[in-house]
Amino acid sequence: MKSVRSHILVCTGAGCVASGAMEIKSALEESLAQHGLAEEVRVIATGCLGPCATGPVAVVHPDGVFYQGIKPEDAGVIVSEHLLKGRVIERLVHKDAAKGRSVPALQDIGFFRKQVKLILRNCGVIDPLKIEEYIASDGYQALSKALTAMKPEEVIDMVKRSGLRGRGGAGFPTGLKWELTRKSAPSTSSGPGGATKFVLCNGDEGDPGAFMDRSILEGDPHSVIEGMAIAGYAIGSSQGYAYIRAEYPLAVERFGKALVQARDYGLLGKDILGTGFEFDVEIRMGSGAFVCGEETALMTSIEGKRGEPRPRPPFPAVKGLWGKPSLLNNVETYSNVPLILTKGPESYAAIGSVKSKGTKVFALAGKVNNTGLVEVPIGTPLGEIIYDIGGGIPGGKKFKAAQMGGPSGGCIPKEHLNVPVDYETLTELGAIMGSGGLIVMDEDSCMVDVARFFLDFVQDESCGKCVPCRVGTKRMLEIVNRICEGKGQEGDIEKLIDLGGKIKDTALCGLGQTAPNPVLSTIRHFRDEYVAHIRDKRCPAGVCPALVRAPCQNACPAAVDVPGFVSLIGEKRYSEALGLHRERNPFASVCARVCFHTCEDKCRRATLDDALSIRGLKRYLVEQEVTVQLPEIRDDEKNAQRKIAIVGAGPAGLSCAYFLARLGYRPKVFEAEQRPGGMLVQTIPAYRLPREELAREVRMIERLGVDIQTGMRLGKDFTLASLRKEGYEAVFLGVGAPRGTTLGVPGEELKGVTDAIGFLREYNIRGSAHVGRKVVVVGGGNAAVDAARTAIRLGAESATILYRRSRDEMPAYAEEIDEAEHEGVVLKVLAAPVAILGKNGNVAGVNYRAMVLGDFDRSGRRRPVEMSSIEFVEEADQVIVAIGQALDADSLRDGVELKLSRIKFVEINPVNGQTSVPWIFAGGDAANGPSSVAEAVGSGESAAVGIDEMLTGAKHAFWRAERDAGTAFDPEADPVQYPRAQMQLIPVARRRQNFSEVEQPFGPQDALREAKRCLRCDYREKVQTK
Amino acid sequence: MPSLTIDQIPVEVPDGMTLLDAAHKAGIMVPTLCYLENVQAIGACRVCVVEVEGAKTLVASCVAPAANGMKVHTNSRRVREARRMVVEMLLSDHDGDCQTCDRSENCELQSLARELGIRQVTYAGDKSRKLVDSSTPALKRDSSKCVLCRRCVTVCNEVQGVGALQPQYRGFKTVVGPAFCSELKDVVCVQCGQCAAVCPVGAITEKEDIDEVWAALDDPKKHVVVQTAPAIRAALGECFGYPAGTLVTGKMVSALRRLGFDAVFDTNFTADLTIMEEGTELLMRLKRALVEKKPVALPMFTSCSPGWIKYLEHFYPEMLPNLSTCKSPQQMFGALAKTYYAQKIGRKAEEMVVVSVMPCTAKKFEARRPEMDGSGVRDVDVVLTTRELGRMIKQAGIDFNSLPDGKMDSPLGISSGAADIFANTGGVMEAALRTAYEIATGRPLPFENLHVKPIEGLDGVKEASFQITGALPAWSFLEGVTVSVAVAHGLSNARKVIERIKSGEGAYHFVEVMTCPGGCIGGGGQPRLTTNAVRKARIAAIYKEDEGKKLRKSHDNPEVQQIYRDFLGAPLGEKSHHLLHTEYTARTKV
Repeated sequence: MKSVRSHILVCTGAGCVASGAMEIKSALEESLAQHGLAEEVRVIATGCLGPCATGPVAVVHPDGVFYQGIKPEDAGVIVSEHLLKGRVIERLVHKDAAKGRSVPALQDIGFFRKQVKLILRNCGVIDPLKIEEYIASDGYQALSKALTAMKPEEVIDMVKRSGLRGRGGAGFPTGLKWELTRKSAPSTSSGPGGATKFVLCNGDEGDPGAFMDRSILEGDPHSVIEGMAIAGYAIGSSQGYAYIRAEYPLAVERFGKALVQARDYGLLGKDILGTGFEFDVEIRMGSGAFVCGEETALMTSIEGKRGEPRPRPPFPAVKGLWGKPSLLNNVETYSNVPLILTKGPESYAAIGSVKSKGTKVFALAGKVNNTGLVEVPIGTPLGEIIYDIGGGIPGGKKFKAAQMGGPSGGCIPKEHLNVPVDYETLTELGAIMGSGGLIVMDEDSCMVDVARFFLDFVQDESCGKCVPCRVGTKRMLEIVNRICEGKGQEGDIEKLIDLGGKIKDTALCGLGQTAPNPVLSTIRHFRDEYVAHIRDKRCPAGVCPALVRAPCQNACPAAVDVPGFVSLIGEKRYSEALGLHRERNPFASVCARVCFHTCEDKCRRATLDDALSIRGLKRYLVEQEVTVQLPEIRDDEKNAQRKIAIVGAGPAGLSCAYFLARLGYRPKVFEAEQRPGGMLVQTIPAYRLPREELAREVRMIERLGVDIQTGMRLGKDFTLASLRKEGYEAVFLGVGAPRGTTLGVPGEELKGVTDAIGFLREYNIRGSAHVGRKVVVVGGGNAAVDAARTAIRLGAESATILYRRSRDEMPAYAEEIDEAEHEGVVLKVLAAPVAILGKNGNVAGVNYRAMVLGDFDRSGRRRPVEMSSIEFVEEADQVIVAIGQALDADSLRDGVELKLSRIKFVEINPVNGQTSVPWIFAGGDAANGPSSVAEAVGSGESAAVGIDEMLTGAKHAFWRAERDAGTAFDPEADPVQYPRAQMQLIPVARRRQNFSEVEQPFGPQDALREAKRCLRCDYREKVQTK
Repeated sequence: MPSLTIDQIPVEVPDGMTLLDAAHKAGIMVPTLCYLENVQAIGACRVCVVEVEGAKTLVASCVAPAANGMKVHTNSRRVREARRMVVEMLLSDHDGDCQTCDRSENCELQSLARELGIRQVTYAGDKSRKLVDSSTPALKRDSSKCVLCRRCVTVCNEVQGVGALQPQYRGFKTVVGPAFCSELKDVVCVQCGQCAAVCPVGAITEKEDIDEVWAALDDPKKHVVVQTAPAIRAALGECFGYPAGTLVTGKMVSALRRLGFDAVFDTNFTADLTIMEEGTELLMRLKRALVEKKPVALPMFTSCSPGWIKYLEHFYPEMLPNLSTCKSPQQMFGALAKTYYAQKIGRKAEEMVVVSVMPCTAKKFEARRPEMDGSGVRDVDVVLTTRELGRMIKQAGIDFNSLPDGKMDSPLGISSGAADIFANTGGVMEAALRTAYEIATGRPLPFENLHVKPIEGLDGVKEASFQITGALPAWSFLEGVTVSVAVAHGLSNARKVIERIKSGEGAYHFVEVMTCPGGCIGGGGQPRLTTNAVRKARIAAIYKEDEGKKLRKSHDNPEVQQIYRDFLGAPLGEKSHHLLHTEYTARTKV
């Protein structure tokens, strides 16, 4: 045999073929010939390598360099540079998104490194059209071993001992199935080809997005043929059928060619390997019905009838194809079999989990950086598949759920990222292994919509034979549809659970029995999203069109009409724009500075280039305001007489007052501190929010008839009971979460240890605060970052943030962290304090241990675990603890029994803010826990509407009516091509020692251009209907 | 012999028995819908689910075999709620137009809903499309009433081997109908109505022609006569609460007279006539074959059953020469009523209206065949099924149960027992043999009570043969000949016989085929539901009618003898040829 110095393995899986692999192969060959390398370098067309989204791909051996996204014109470069000069083509190699560097070698790429390729052992390595290559990789050794050295019973015993379970979905023990079929008495009448038993291969892979069987059939067809032949020998059958879906023409073609080769080599047909054993396989093409993947329907289809399931029992092992005992396994299962015989069952069983052995191929798809086929040992934690192999979620979005097992599977939420992916665990969680579909969903997926999608699929694919599946799934779909359309009714969730449970219990076949799963599993893990759709008529993910005018507006907790005010800015109609903003949120100027802008996270422009700078535009807008215009007020004498108290003049309380005042009420606001504003004034530093900006908007609220009384502390100057006694009919609690939580480590009592809220409040309210020379801040939230940046401004020599997880997991806003670093704040992540050191009663430093990220916790983040017990010391003379905030529950206890939530905040009905005491309402941090300003505004508004409804029996929130901003929009025009405008920041040097505002607004040109970038998702074509 | 407990009652059952039958054995009724004894057990509707301890889901008892040690519960909360859900789902997708539905009070879905105590439909939603096919003269199908139980599909495909009905589309859009949703008139449907006979609801019914009959009866210028097929008298009583197999010939005659028919006649008369014609035809064919040694189509097939005729026209047009050229008794009657009888009473054919009451929907089609106009106008004007007659009697306010027995009118009302047994499988053959044997030998058929036992009963294909000895001189060529006959009922059985003939495996002289299982007593127009027990009871009644008559052989019928003397001349004569014989049309297979 001639040896060559290099091989180029070109992936010719269907995906790569579709994107031009065949052209690349011939271009490579041509170029090699031109360079006279045709004898030295061989180009081999292989099966699928896995990372299909990056195709066409190829590997150059012996270097093992992996090239992706190749075009035919790259062939010349690969030959001239790599093969002639040994230089790797940088632009064609994999880039590690997280680390920002190139990774040329296949074995170093995360996607491949963590995989264990047993089933896909030959895919991407050998030429599937050459039986010699399969044989050279130990192919057909297992068959020969079985036929020459083993009794059928021994083969079955070996498969049993291997622990192999059916890879088609249900995970039935394969060996047991073989044994049952072997023991089944052969049919007395012989079927086609004289066979009395059949070996059937299920290649009707119908799950949307799943293509592992296709890849095996295309990339390693002989492994399936060998598996089937061994099965034929084991159960005593001479005839096999491979049922392959007609949508897989390449798989059909390659499998068909492999059959011919196997026959030519005497590995199929009569007297195989001279042992007298006879076995052959025929292909039957499936005709596109999902249900034909169900075993009985598959057999009915092979028989030439309408592909419909039939009742079991009798099971196929007893009465299968044409009424004869039949063994049905799927493609992947068969391709495991040769491996078990050659490696031995014990070594096969060494891989996998206790109850599930071997590896499983998954089709990784959806919102994950690396998509494609991946093979891992069964029992690998879900999080590892998604993060280590899949490379995590693109765009810094949050993982929400993994949909597993195809349309009839279920969703696994972030709480269970740590679970081992095996048959039992998935079933417990309401999903299934299925054939290995794994669709990753991020925060932008609406789980009700996801359920609707899959239910729609199975409902459509129902064969229509049995009533529960035919009508029941339709009824479920109708309910889910109406929920998505905002027409859901109370009781719909219960109806879905009830109907779904009964369908599972009564349907004829596996399809019907699992059809309700997508709904049941999303209800189980994401019930709150269903509730939001039904009760609040809100789609939290911003997906369901009937409930979402525009995703930005939907994402705003205060429901500000973002496209409205943005487009008004675009037409320079600033006062209208501000008016529109303040319809839903009085704090336009405040939010222009401090808003977390969830709207931008959902901006659809991001799919084009970058999100619109909505906060930047708002900042520009408020700069245009000369005098504050008052919003629409509806005077009401009756309302004006009613006594409503609002406790706390933070954003929640003031918003509640604002909206009540617009309905003609005259609420009284009680504020403990001397200045209204709550956290806005107490903790948010002035360099982020100049005090005058806040004061202007507070004055606007006062001008609506709101009376703010400062220096009135709940629990000291008055109580809830005393308010009631004074005749207040309703009370809104907006007292925030002002208490810092403690670390629980030794040394917290030392002088110089303070909590972040206390530290910030001291400075902001009193105008000065003690600051150390070396300041250590513990925590990763906004309070931590604010404290560190304030400390720097107050003259600390150094400010170091210790955080126990990694930077990616920090809850603080990314831009704030960046600016803190610019200002000199040192970030030490993966550092967990274990003790605060003291000297003479004063703080001297913090002892911490280095952490690494371990498995996943219930928040879906990797849990920090100690790397070692070695402790490091961070010197400090001041330690600011910023690890959480709590409600001051003591101040509420005065005879009124308010129910608190599990995490010790005031429990409210999220729709109207009502607490367990009907006349007391609550919102903001006191009810939601530490949260954003917009969140507080939104909850204040809800409570105002709730209070009004309680008092009058009706809703009068006129500001909620959708209004057309009356701005121009041309739906036919292409989006403008400007990039996202950036707000200028004052230089770092000018920030130290002072609290002047860091961000500088856009100029008019930038602002107008930015406003035009809006895609106007709110625009609806007005369809003329007669 | 598995032994198990059902609702804690121990039962021992034979191997392979289903849980449904096992429950019946234990005295427990399990509701069913798609299940149809001896025809279909597919577990599609899920109404019959029961709980088996240890099973993951509920199981359909109509298909689940009983196994040793099973603990089965048929009345647990889980089972009750599941059944209610299933039926509620069906109701939610059902055109609930019960008040105007033909099947109201005789509807299996309605009964189920009542029995399961369903008081409201919680899950309302879209309903299936309403596709109404009334393209054929015989049947009307309405998809909005269909519960997709598949009984019609199974009957059409497996019992009849016709295959005109199949499920179309998938999921909620599934409808039952001809391939590509064609109309029935454009496919191989033989219009036998077996689909309508097994439909549990009002989705497939006969096309109702009652109003046409009322219109004729109301028209003073018309002379309206009615003929009733032999199978009616053994089944009509079921419409009025009598048990299956009750003979109501006398009450039927009285009812028809009260409805206003000018004369009440019996198709039996032309059945006797058919024997004369067909028997003679058979003897002539045998003579041609045995004496003249000329090519002749043998075996000869009977031609009374219009579904069978159409089946042969579609599927075996090459065998059409084997069909007897005799019209069916219904059509012979029509032709004679509008000629022979009309002359007698001095009326023109145009003034006559001939109504037939048939157990059959295909007869509606047959009456409209263009060649059926021997009298110069359409021979038979309106065909009613047994069910329609029952409804008509109810519409007229007639208290059927208290009617006195009436007698048929003459001359077309006299008949022999041989004509009665046309109603059941094997009957035409037996009647023909009674006459043919006697013509050939001068002696009565040498069997006990004139019955040819091997061709009676419900076996799908029955055969008999006997040797002719002592033939009369005119028929001497039959001396020593062993006559072989075959009888098939249900068209899939007919196919078996034809295939046997084509393969040379079966060599017969004469073959009787009845479209419907059991023969006409099991026809598509008979009161529902025709089970094998009902078939047996009706057949027993027919034989009782036969045996109770003095006249047992067609050629003994004095009116028949008279019509040959007065009008027709001889069997196979010129007039017979014109009025009583017909020809057939090859049809497409699609």
